[in-house]
Amino acid sequence: MTASTNAPVPRTRNLTTAAIFERYGLVIFLCILLVVAALISPPFLQPANLVNVLTIAAPLGMVVVGQTFVILVRGLDLSVASLMATVAVLATAFKATGNDAIPMIFVAAIVFSAIVGLISGWLVTKRNVSPFLATLAMMIILQGVRFAYTGGAPISTLPPGMSFLASGRILGIPVNLITLAILATALGIVLHRSRFGRQIFMVGSNPKAALLNGVPRDRVVILCYVICSICAGIGGLFLLGYVGTVSNWVGQGYELDSIVAAVMGGVALSGGRGNVFAALLGVAVLVVINNLVLLLGFPIEMQLIIKGIIIIGAAAFYRTRLF
Amino acid sequence: MSSSVIELSQIVKEYPGVRPLDRVDFAVRPGEIHALLGENGAGKSTLIRVMGGAVAPNSGSITYLGKSVSWRSPKEARTAGIHVIYQELALFPELSVAENILVDAQPTRFGLISGRARHALAAAALKQLGVTIPTHAKVDELPLADQQMVEIAKALVGQTKLLILDEPTAVITGREVDLLFENMRRLRSEGVGIVYVSHRLEEIAEIADRVTILKDGQVVATSPVAALTREAMITKMVGRRLEQVYPARLQAPAQTADVLTVRNLEAGPRVRDVSFSVKAGEIVGLAGMVGSGRTEVAEAIFGTREVKQGSIALEGKPFSKIDPGAAIRFGLGFLTENRKDEGLFLGLPISANIVAPDLGSVTRRGLIDRATERETAMRQMKEFAVAAPSSEVKVGNLSGGNQQKVLFSRWSRIANRLLILDEPTRGVDIGAKVEIYRIIRRLADSGIGVLLISSELQEVVGMSDRVYVMSQGQIVGEIQGEAISEEAIMDLAVRSMDRSRLSVAGGAELVS
Repeated sequence: MTASTNAPVPRTRNLTTAAIFERYGLVIFLCILLVVAALISPPFLQPANLVNVLTIAAPLGMVVVGQTFVILVRGLDLSVASLMATVAVLATAFKATGNDAIPMIFVAAIVFSAIVGLISGWLVTKRNVSPFLATLAMMIILQGVRFAYTGGAPISTLPPGMSFLASGRILGIPVNLITLAILATALGIVLHRSRFGRQIFMVGSNPKAALLNGVPRDRVVILCYVICSICAGIGGLFLLGYVGTVSNWVGQGYELDSIVAAVMGGVALSGGRGNVFAALLGVAVLVVINNLVLLLGFPIEMQLIIKGIIIIGAAAFYRTRLF
Repeated sequence: MSSSVIELSQIVKEYPGVRPLDRVDFAVRPGEIHALLGENGAGKSTLIRVMGGAVAPNSGSITYLGKSVSWRSPKEARTAGIHVIYQELALFPELSVAENILVDAQPTRFGLISGRARHALAAAALKQLGVTIPTHAKVDELPLADQQMVEIAKALVGQTKLLILDEPTAVITGREVDLLFENMRRLRSEGVGIVYVSHRLEEIAEIADRVTILKDGQVVATSPVAALTREAMITKMVGRRLEQVYPARLQAPAQTADVLTVRNLEAGPRVRDVSFSVKAGEIVGLAGMVGSGRTEVAEAIFGTREVKQGSIALEGKPFSKIDPGAAIRFGLGFLTENRKDEGLFLGLPISANIVAPDLGSVTRRGLIDRATERETAMRQMKEFAVAAPSSEVKVGNLSGGNQQKVLFSRWSRIANRLLILDEPTRGVDIGAKVEIYRIIRRLADSGIGVLLISSELQEVVGMSDRVYVMSQGQIVGEIQGEAISEEAIMDLAVRSMDRSRLSVAGGAELVS
C-alpha cells in the first residue's frame, strides 16, 4: 500500500516514464527479448524459425485465452492440459481414416469440453469447492478416463487432414494462427465489450458487490469455466495436429504454462483485472524464451530455471500496481 | 495514585482524520468494577485496546501496578496480568475447550504439552465459573453462549490483575449472566480490577462500582455509579446538541402510500419479528445497537438473506421470492454498510461502478455502449459532485467521501421507489457528510422512500421523519417527528435490552 490510495490521482495526458513502462512494460520486454534473440542467435529471425515458434505458440495461446476468463473470476483451471490430451484421445475414438470425420471430431471435442467445464464450474459455484481442488480433481479424473481407454499405449489412427491444423496455410498464413486470431478476437470482444464481459469483471473485482448489483454470479462463473474448457479442447485438437500421435501426455505442462503466460500478461490471480491480448503477449514472451534457450544450445533444464525467474519477476512487477 | 491497578493519563490515539481517543484519563482501582459507557464510536473499544496492548497510543502515559509501561504487544500485557475479553471471541474453533482455555499457559511435562494436566486445569477453571462444559469438545461445536463462557474461563487461569470485558453479555442470558456476575464479584473480592463495557444500563447499576462515560473520544464523566441516575447517564452519553448540519425534515407526517411494508419478518437468528413501513417521500430511520439486526432486515428486503417467516410488500404488492436483480428492477437500491467489501468495484473505473446495477441501460445488442456509459456516468458525477478528473478513474483511487458519492450516483439512478442506506456516512469526513445529508433529503423530496440505517444517533435524529428502534431482532418502538431525540431512542434501545433478560421483550411502544 502506498499513501496515494485514498487521494484522487490526477490523470495527465503526457504519460510519465513510469506510466509508460507500466502500461507497455510487456511489449517493451518482448521487443528487448526479440532484439537480444536476433543478436545472439542469428537463426532466430529466420522465417522458418519464426513460423516454428508461432506454431508451437498457437495451441498454448488458445488455452491462455480461456484460462484468462477463469482467472478473471478469481479461479484457475488446472485441468486444461489433461483435457487437451483427453480430447486428443477422443479424436482417435472415431477410428476415422478419412477427412470427412474432422467436423464430427470438432463437435465431439467441443461438446465434451463444455461438459467438463460445466462440471468444474458447478463444483466451484454450487458446491463451493476451491477452483484449485475442483480442477485438480477434474484433471485426475480425465487422466483416468483416458488411460482406461488407451490402456497406456499411444495411438495414431487419425484422419490425415488433422496435420493441416498444424502445418496448413491459408493465403500463406498458418491456419492455427488464423484460428487463434479469430478465437482471441471473438472472445476479446465478449470480454472487453459485451455485457457478459462486464459482469465477469464485476464478479472478479468484487463477488459480493456483483451479487448485490443483480449479477447472476454463479452463472457467470460457470460460463467462464465452460469457455476455458472449450478453448482447451480446441487447443488440444490443434496440438494433436502438430504432434501427430496421441500419447497420453499431449499438452503436458500447458496448465501451468497457460497460468504463467496469463500472469505475465498482467492478468491478476486475485481476479477482476486483465486483458486477453496482453495475456497473448505473455504467451509470446514465454515461447520466445523457450526457443532462445534451445537456439543457444542450453540444456532444456535452463528453460525451467529461466521460466521460474521470469515468473518471479512478473509477480514482483505487477505487485507494485495497486489496482 | 499508586493505589490503581492501571492508570491512563492524557491518552491520545489518532488515525488520519479521526481521533478516537482525545486526552483520556482513566483509572481502575484494585477490587473495583469500573463500567465504561458510550455510544458506538465513542472510543470504548480503542481504549480497551490501548490497555490490552493491541493499540499503541500516540501520546499519554500508562501506569500499571505502579510502574510506567508501554506495551509492545498484547502478549506483553497478557503476561503482565491484563486479560481482555473482546467482543469478537478470540477462540480457536478447531481446538478443544481445554486447549482454548489454556492457550496462554499450556502445562508442560518434560518439554511436551501434557494433555491430562490440561484437561484437569481447564475443568477446574470451568468449575470455578460454575458451568459444565466438556473439556474435550471442539469449540465450534458449542453454542455461542458456551463459547463465551470458555472465553471467560480463559481469564480465570493465571495471574489476572486487570480483567477487561467488552460487552460480554451480548450473547449470554439469564443464568449465565448471573454466573458471570458472581464470578466478577468473587474476582473483585480477590482484589482484581475489572473494566466492564455494556450497553445495558441496568446491569451497570447492578454490578459496577464506578462508571466512566466516553463521548467522541473524550471522558465526559467519571463518578460512582450510585451518584448517577440512568437518565443522567444517557444524557451524558448522548452529549452535545445537534449542529446545523441536517436539512429540514418533513413539516407533517407523510400521507403518501407505503412503498415498503414489512410484516412479522423473521430471517436468520438476528431478525426475529420485525414489522414496519416506509412511505414515499419520507426518510425512516432504523436505529439500534450494532448487532441488533438492522443490516439483516435490509438484506432480507433486498433478497440476499433468506426470509423464514413474514411478508415483504413493495407498493402493496407482496414479494414471495426476491433477489437483488428483481429488487433493482422494481426500483429498489441498497447502499451497503461496507463500501469496500460489498459496495464498490475498486479496480474498475467510476463509470463501470455507476452503471453496475443497470447494465441493460447502456447495452446495445449485447455490447456495452461506452459513449452512453461515460455520458451517464459524467451526468451522475456532476449531480453528486464526485471530485474526479474523469469517469474512467478507478474508484480505488478516490477518497472515502468521493467513493460514497459514487455509490449514491449508482443507486439514485435506479432507485426510483425505495433506497435503503446502511451507514451512509461511515468513514467520511464532516464536509462530505453534510453533502450526503442534502443528497438524501433531496432524494426523499423527489418522492423516493428512504430507509436509513445508522449507528450514529445524531444522524438518525437529524435526518429521520420517523424512527424505528430495533433491539435484539425486534422493533421495540417507533418515534415520530418532534419527539425524535437521542434520549428517546437510547431509552427504547436500552430498556428493551434490560427487559429481554427477564424475557419480557416484545410489543412496540408508541412514544409519539
